[in-house]
Amino acid sequence: MRLALAAATLLRHRTRTLLAVLGVAVSAALLLDMVMLAGGMRESFRDLLLVRGYQLRLSPKGTLPFDSDATMERAAALLAAVRADPRIVAVSPILGGQLHVLGAAPDGGESGPAATAFAMGLDARVQGDYELVRGRHAVAGAELVASPAFLRATGARVGDTLDVAAGFDPQLRQYAGRRRAVVVGEGRFFYTPGEQPVAALPLATLQAMRGEEGRDRLSLVMARVADGADVEQVRAELQRRVPRVSAISTATALAQVEQRLSYFRQLAFILGAISLAIGFLLVTTLVTVSVNERVGEIAVLRAIGVSRAHVVQQIVLEGSALSLAGAALGLALGLVTARYLNAILGDFPGLPAAFAFFVFRPIDAWRALGLLVLSGVLAGVYPSWRAASLPIATTLREEAVG
Amino acid sequence: MTPQELADAVGVVDGAGRRGAPPLIRVAGVERDYRMGEETVHALRGVSFDVAAGEWLAVVGPSGCGKSTLLNLLGAVDRPSRGTVRIAGEDVGAMDDRAATSFRLRRVGFVFQRFYLMPMLTARENVELPMAEAGVGRAERQARARELLAYVGLAPRERHRPAQLSGGEQQRVAIARALANRPALLLADEPTGELDARTGAEIIDLLGRLHAEGTTILVVTHDETLAQAGGRRIHMRDGLVERDDK
Amino acid sequence: MARVLGALAVAPVLGGAPGPGAASVAEAQPGVRPIPAVRGVAVDERLRDDLGVRLGDRVVLLGRPGDGRDSALADTVRIDAFVRRGADPSEVARAEYRVRLHLDQLQRLAAYDNRVDRFAVATRDSAATERVLGAVNEAAFGFRAHRSRDVAVRTSRTFQVVQRFHRAIGVITVVASAVFLLCILLLKVDERRRDVAALRLMGISRRTVVGALVLEASLVSLLGSALGLGVGWAVTQGINWYYQGVYRTPLLFALVTPGVALFAVTLSLALGVGAGFLAARRMARTAPLALFGR
Repeated sequence: MRLALAAATLLRHRTRTLLAVLGVAVSAALLLDMVMLAGGMRESFRDLLLVRGYQLRLSPKGTLPFDSDATMERAAALLAAVRADPRIVAVSPILGGQLHVLGAAPDGGESGPAATAFAMGLDARVQGDYELVRGRHAVAGAELVASPAFLRATGARVGDTLDVAAGFDPQLRQYAGRRRAVVVGEGRFFYTPGEQPVAALPLATLQAMRGEEGRDRLSLVMARVADGADVEQVRAELQRRVPRVSAISTATALAQVEQRLSYFRQLAFILGAISLAIGFLLVTTLVTVSVNERVGEIAVLRAIGVSRAHVVQQIVLEGSALSLAGAALGLALGLVTARYLNAILGDFPGLPAAFAFFVFRPIDAWRALGLLVLSGVLAGVYPSWRAASLPIATTLREEAVG
Repeated sequence: MTPQELADAVGVVDGAGRRGAPPLIRVAGVERDYRMGEETVHALRGVSFDVAAGEWLAVVGPSGCGKSTLLNLLGAVDRPSRGTVRIAGEDVGAMDDRAATSFRLRRVGFVFQRFYLMPMLTARENVELPMAEAGVGRAERQARARELLAYVGLAPRERHRPAQLSGGEQQRVAIARALANRPALLLADEPTGELDARTGAEIIDLLGRLHAEGTTILVVTHDETLAQAGGRRIHMRDGLVERDDK
Repeated sequence: MARVLGALAVAPVLGGAPGPGAASVAEAQPGVRPIPAVRGVAVDERLRDDLGVRLGDRVVLLGRPGDGRDSALADTVRIDAFVRRGADPSEVARAEYRVRLHLDQLQRLAAYDNRVDRFAVATRDSAATERVLGAVNEAAFGFRAHRSRDVAVRTSRTFQVVQRFHRAIGVITVVASAVFLLCILLLKVDERRRDVAALRLMGISRRTVVGALVLEASLVSLLGSALGLGVGWAVTQGINWYYQGVYRTPLLFALVTPGVALFAVTLSLALGVGAGFLAARRMARTAPLALFGR
């Protein structure tokens, strides 16, 4: 009966109810988006870092991985030091650099680079930077695995042979190393932007091609710690043993990236709070006005024996119904706007293609929308209690006179 | 035991020495004051009377004499400033809100001048409302609601909303609602006040039928026809009982 | 102006005298002043605050982390100046320190020999810029020349993304506010139904009634806009104060410009008056007795 009464009351003023539901829906959508944003970056980045299970990263002192062109020297000694720890079960060394794909001039001579790509020298057995989509890994000599952007930029396909070079000296106008490399596979690279051409070569090949700048040098070392071992402890010990590098755990990397992206988290918090406040205010105002209009009806209900608590329940039910309807609509709206906003932020230069700002987790939706519905419930309590507590006789008399 | 309580226990003895049932309603020295800004209005200034079960009493008097205030006190909608109001032995003036609410729900049926039906509910749903509050199951209350609507001659109109009913039909729905929980007492405040003569007569007939079946009725009215229908009249003026035509 | 960008380690020296590893005086060229043993550098305010150094303090710069001050890639320098960071958005999220050295000094420390990362060239006028650009790129020495403005456009892509994001959020909040405003004004006008009914019964025309309600809505909107401007301005002050502290930059993060203020006020007035008009018109069209609930 109470449900029927609540529904009937809400349907009595359709325009008003519809507007209120819409208002709550937009607030709910914004609130959901902000909750997704607040947690999404961290989740997405964490998933990215752990995609192949490597929990530790060693990079040049004072830098984050590939933050600069700096490299770590005495790579062999560094790798030996890392592998010496029995708790480390896998080590992936990486050298980064520029790779030029050379074209042919019309006169048969050599023209400038037809395309320039970011190259990663890897050990294909333990690499954690790409997922093979087609073909096979580059394991020996002059082979490479290319990203879709690389293939587009060069017009090459898997199986083609390309003239590639690295270690360009602009003064001597010479490359330190050239190869005729076969494209043996296509890969989806996790940590590079989607539009950037990327190629993975065997580590030794790229080190040799970069000449002095690549000899016995690495840009990054990734390490996987055995299950059950304390990652933070291993990291601290590595840092002590090799002070010339920066050892970063997933947690540290997350913290540093979070610090850089803290603006978005704070924005998410502020906008989320504002959305919640707007949703609450809307329902409160609507319920208050509705109750004020029905003071006479409420007095009649009290006069025929409906208890104060039941009157309050009735009105709270109306507020809850508004919030629930708005939240349900807001969920759908929020998912759509999140996709749109994610697409905007995905345009950040240098952002890994797999990174997302807005990540949907059901728990977040429950939390956010649950909060909104709760605020709708609370919004009705005070005005309804006040109205139900008015003296019945006086209210009836005033209502009769009015 | 006070003399009054003893009299109530053994029954009222009338002037001829005949002993009857204890009164359903006993109003003793009731006063009601209201603050209106700086002034105090004495709406009731010491009203006393009894009403036996099964009686039909009309309270008449000019506007502002305290009739509606008296009705509100009897219905536990308001509390006396002084004096007692006993209905079926219970002091309704001393009840807390919860007890007064329960009293109104189960012991008293209220009929208002302006009907006060819920505009967004159908006729049947309006009649069901007090039963739903009293915890009556859905099937049972729907059946009783239909029964009551049939009693007041509105069975075909059960799905109509108040806006689709005439004044007389709305008042009949209101009467059906007042009877929902089988109250001992029916209180009516100007039940024909908003109705034309013919419709008013229909309402009076309906009240007459209820009375004939044993319902105790107390009406407050300016309507002379309604005032005469019951037989007993209390005339009020300036907050006092001027005359009691038993 | 040539620049070398490299990562250096900084180790403070306690005391005034230079350490044994201090750079030796370079051979002076004829006509050129001799290079002093301890040269001055400028550090940024962040480094000053975090290291707690003062003007005149000596520090050792290391080109390779972990090296000792005797290393060939080490240099003892004196802090001669502190540099304030510019309001450069591209530097905001970077927590790095900045040290300004003499070119040859950094070339030696970074083992760069006779190399630089980039040149900046000032030309006489825009025609000269185009000539230089063409000549440099044709020479094909393995590097490219760019107009500063083109570099600015490319590097500002991050902020374009942020701007688009802010705009999208702005649109969503405006929509939410519009719905909220419509709803509230509808409710407020609805609350006046009995007043409106009484006026209409007295013979006041619909036009007058609608006009009065719209005037009320306009006043409320105007007042609300003024209040909102004040709140908005105060909030931007708070935002700038907070983020300038967090990122240690003089950059302004939020700004209420005359254009922004005008847009906000215009929009809220339009919404308020529009909503008030719609609600008032709806009410004025309802029969007075119906407004009384009869």
